[in-house]
Amino acid sequence: MKKSIRMSKKLGVYSFFLFLLFFSVSLLFSQDIESKVKIHKLGNGLTFIFMERHEVPVFSAVYGFKVGSVDEVPGITGLAHLFEHMAFKGTPRIGTSDYEKEKVVMEKVDKLGAEISKELVKGDLANKEKIEKMKKEMAELEKEQKKYIVKDEIDKIYSNAGGVGLNAGTGTDVTSYLISLPSNQFELFCLMESERMKNAVLREFYTERGVVQEERKQTTEAVPMRQLSEVFTAAAFIAHPYGHPVVGWASDINSVTLEEAAAFKSKYYTPNNCVVGIAGDIYPEKAIPLIEKYFADFPPGPEPPILRTTEPKQLGERRVKIEFDAEPQILIGFHKPTFPHKHAYVMDVVASILTSGRSSRLYKDLVKAKQLAVSISAYSGPGVRYDNLFIISATPRFPHTNEELEKAIYEHLEKLKVEPVEAKELEKIKNQIEASYIRSLSSNFGMAFRLMREQLFYGDWKNMMRYKDEIIKVKPEDIIEAAKEYFTDQNRTVAFLLKKQKDIKK
Amino acid sequence: MAKNKFKIFSSLLISAILCASVIAVYAQRHPSELKKPEPIKFTPPSIQKFNVGKGILVYYLEDKELPLVSMSGYFKSGSLYEAPDKTGLASLTGTVMRTGGTSKMTGDQIDEELEFLAARIETGLGSEFGTASLSCLKKDLSRVLEIYADIVTSPVFSQDKIDLAKNQLKESIRRRWDMPMSVANLIFNEKLYGAESPYARRTSFSSLDKITREDLVAFHKKYLAPNNLIIGITGDISSSEVKNLLNTVFKDWNPKKIEFPPVPAVKDEVKRLVYYVSKDTPQANIFLGHLGVRRNNPDEFKLEVMNYVLGGGGFGSRLMRELRSNRGLTYGIYGGVYEGRDRGQFAIGSTLRAESIGESISLIEDIVKSMQADLIKDEEMEEAKNYMINSFVFNFESKAAILSQKIYLSLLGYPEDYLEKYIDNIKKVTKDDVLNVAKRYMDTGRMMIVVVGDKKRFEKPLENFGKVEEINLQSIIDKERTGATPVK
Repeated sequence: MKKSIRMSKKLGVYSFFLFLLFFSVSLLFSQDIESKVKIHKLGNGLTFIFMERHEVPVFSAVYGFKVGSVDEVPGITGLAHLFEHMAFKGTPRIGTSDYEKEKVVMEKVDKLGAEISKELVKGDLANKEKIEKMKKEMAELEKEQKKYIVKDEIDKIYSNAGGVGLNAGTGTDVTSYLISLPSNQFELFCLMESERMKNAVLREFYTERGVVQEERKQTTEAVPMRQLSEVFTAAAFIAHPYGHPVVGWASDINSVTLEEAAAFKSKYYTPNNCVVGIAGDIYPEKAIPLIEKYFADFPPGPEPPILRTTEPKQLGERRVKIEFDAEPQILIGFHKPTFPHKHAYVMDVVASILTSGRSSRLYKDLVKAKQLAVSISAYSGPGVRYDNLFIISATPRFPHTNEELEKAIYEHLEKLKVEPVEAKELEKIKNQIEASYIRSLSSNFGMAFRLMREQLFYGDWKNMMRYKDEIIKVKPEDIIEAAKEYFTDQNRTVAFLLKKQKDIKK
Repeated sequence: MAKNKFKIFSSLLISAILCASVIAVYAQRHPSELKKPEPIKFTPPSIQKFNVGKGILVYYLEDKELPLVSMSGYFKSGSLYEAPDKTGLASLTGTVMRTGGTSKMTGDQIDEELEFLAARIETGLGSEFGTASLSCLKKDLSRVLEIYADIVTSPVFSQDKIDLAKNQLKESIRRRWDMPMSVANLIFNEKLYGAESPYARRTSFSSLDKITREDLVAFHKKYLAPNNLIIGITGDISSSEVKNLLNTVFKDWNPKKIEFPPVPAVKDEVKRLVYYVSKDTPQANIFLGHLGVRRNNPDEFKLEVMNYVLGGGGFGSRLMRELRSNRGLTYGIYGGVYEGRDRGQFAIGSTLRAESIGESISLIEDIVKSMQADLIKDEEMEEAKNYMINSFVFNFESKAAILSQKIYLSLLGYPEDYLEKYIDNIKKVTKDDVLNVAKRYMDTGRMMIVVVGDKKRFEKPLENFGKVEEINLQSIIDKERTGATPVK
């Protein structure tokens, strides 16, 4: 209401790994949750998970397709994300005033767009005159098509219904779509989302490519930490597709075609590769007939291809730096396994010991006592479907340098290899993980998201309760073992952001 | 719009092969086929209000869903009331209240104990109000409340934590120009209110150097009192328990008379200039606008509808539709006429393609003028009102949000029944009202423009849009870093 500026739609690229810390449950609540959660799987494989919360007549829905930037290959990086934008463009009946006429123009737009892209990728050898001519023609055609387009009709329909938070996000591992509505609008949700899944029309593809190009500049190229992170991740992974940015390389965004987007969709956007999480004032027994009515005829597809590439063992430290019109920052990463490997849980505990809260080791020593840094955090990234990195991100405090801060961080990592963590410190971490979990249950959106994600990645939403069991099992000797295994020079990638020389003053 | 779906179905099957835009085809539906749903029934929970201690007002709602308690205290105080040469005093006071310890515990001991309990207490001061919040498991409430009360009533502001907070603020001063959008925002604010205005002045090394521990102690002592504290509390706890616990921890805290220093009135001295800041960045960051309106303006609901259509409604707004959706010039653009304590802002901001900045500025000006030239369309009015009315229930989605909303409305001086009458007030707004407020509160002839970017990329010189004044960021940086350089 007052002054609430709605969330900017499709904030786009985001990462999910921070959520991981919260996946635990106390025994007391696991039973309570089980009684409120209901799962319903359609014949085509599409899975719905409901969590009932009836106090306020609203619900949040979050659905994810198991596809992200990790499923892209060179040349089409950023396509998972670009496709996510295209999922807001409508269907043959939504977003158009006369589809028959629009379609005629659209076919010409698509054909010409592909030709322009084909010419553009020749680089210096491209025929510039030809491109200019085609671009002019394109502008005319797009103008013609606009006559039939009902702009952003999906957004308009949901806004009229009182929907909030219409958005979507793409990460390395998953593409998710979100909306919250008053609970009397559940059928509208079913109609709209089943239409988007089954009948998407990828209109205005080339204009949207321009928007994504601006998104890349705004959210990566102009943001010091994001730009550093892109270079850091690319250095850490030389083979595995976690190495390329979710938003894609600029050159790929510029040249990817509609055909490639369509092919990508048919490979990954199948009901058997999707889970819908719904939390709020919805009664599953009333909802299920509607779900069957709208979603059951979404035909299943083959299982998406399996990723063959694994990251080879790192043979020595990698150091990269970027120069930027900004103050220094550091990222340090160590390769490590993902779930369900035992060490994935151990390293989550390590991350908490190091940087969770003001009493954590690195905050206490480097921010409060020595004041080498103004902020510091440790987490897993960039995804969880495949083996990933333990990452430490830190911001030095002038006049201290990246080098001083880096060295001080390593002293703490070395300590983890030799001194067993005390029982009380370990208990604190476990208390925090449990409380975070309980807090996370207080929002419809948070619950819908977690249920969806666990079911999609691990085939069982109850996996979120197993997380705590694994965390509780972590012993001081496990931490020593994991620290010795992963915190080595050979396994390390370090990225520095440095102020551009010409800008250095004071 | 309704068509024979089977006909479309068959014709599309063929065209799907030709036209890659259509990638799957099944029976198609449109929401116009749905019956209008029954309206939702919802009565917001009624808040209990009572006094505890010696004059603390409490807003309370029970929430038995989870074994948690969350609480927020709000008090009037902030940077508006600090001395101009000690800019940063309110912010430091807000930080070190929590970190600097109490008469019973050091700040580090508080960190250890709270984090072991997975509890949180945070304090902070903004420009007009301060907050002190708490969140914990129900079982730990009485202990966490003791610590909370000590932090609020008797913080000791230890010197080492003041030094730490100052060092951190100095580092944030060094980094405040790193992000191009922050640069645009800071310069826009400065040019709108004036560099010395309490609404725009910034901390500097020298203003921080002047602040002493005695200043923090005095600032806290002056403004923190039971008669200046409103607490919102919700969770798995009864009202009698809340009363008992709060009465116990605040029993010795005495009220006092607080005099708020006068805040100088905002002077409207906005110049119709283009301020250019050179920054090595791939896009152009812009802000356009002039002063806005005072809080509790009688036209506020009309402005709310106007803002939605102009630039507050995401894809339903004219700015977003034209610059992003139609032309792909930006990832986002927002704007509107906003309220403030004295004068708010009329502001439009965006990060956009540097090579199209001239085109974009012209479009923005045209869109503002379009709001003043003609009545908005029926469908625009309908969407704005439907959205505001139908999504209103989301303001009640969480109990903590209900409380903080009610408390802020009362602190800001809104009528007691503001929320209850909100929907009726929105319904009353007419298209003529929207046109009138667009004319009254926006003036393209007086709009200033702040541009941050690299002018070599701009397709049109900024001179096309008015007299250009280049701002030398380096001299600002040199000036604000004059003072004690941070030490190791």
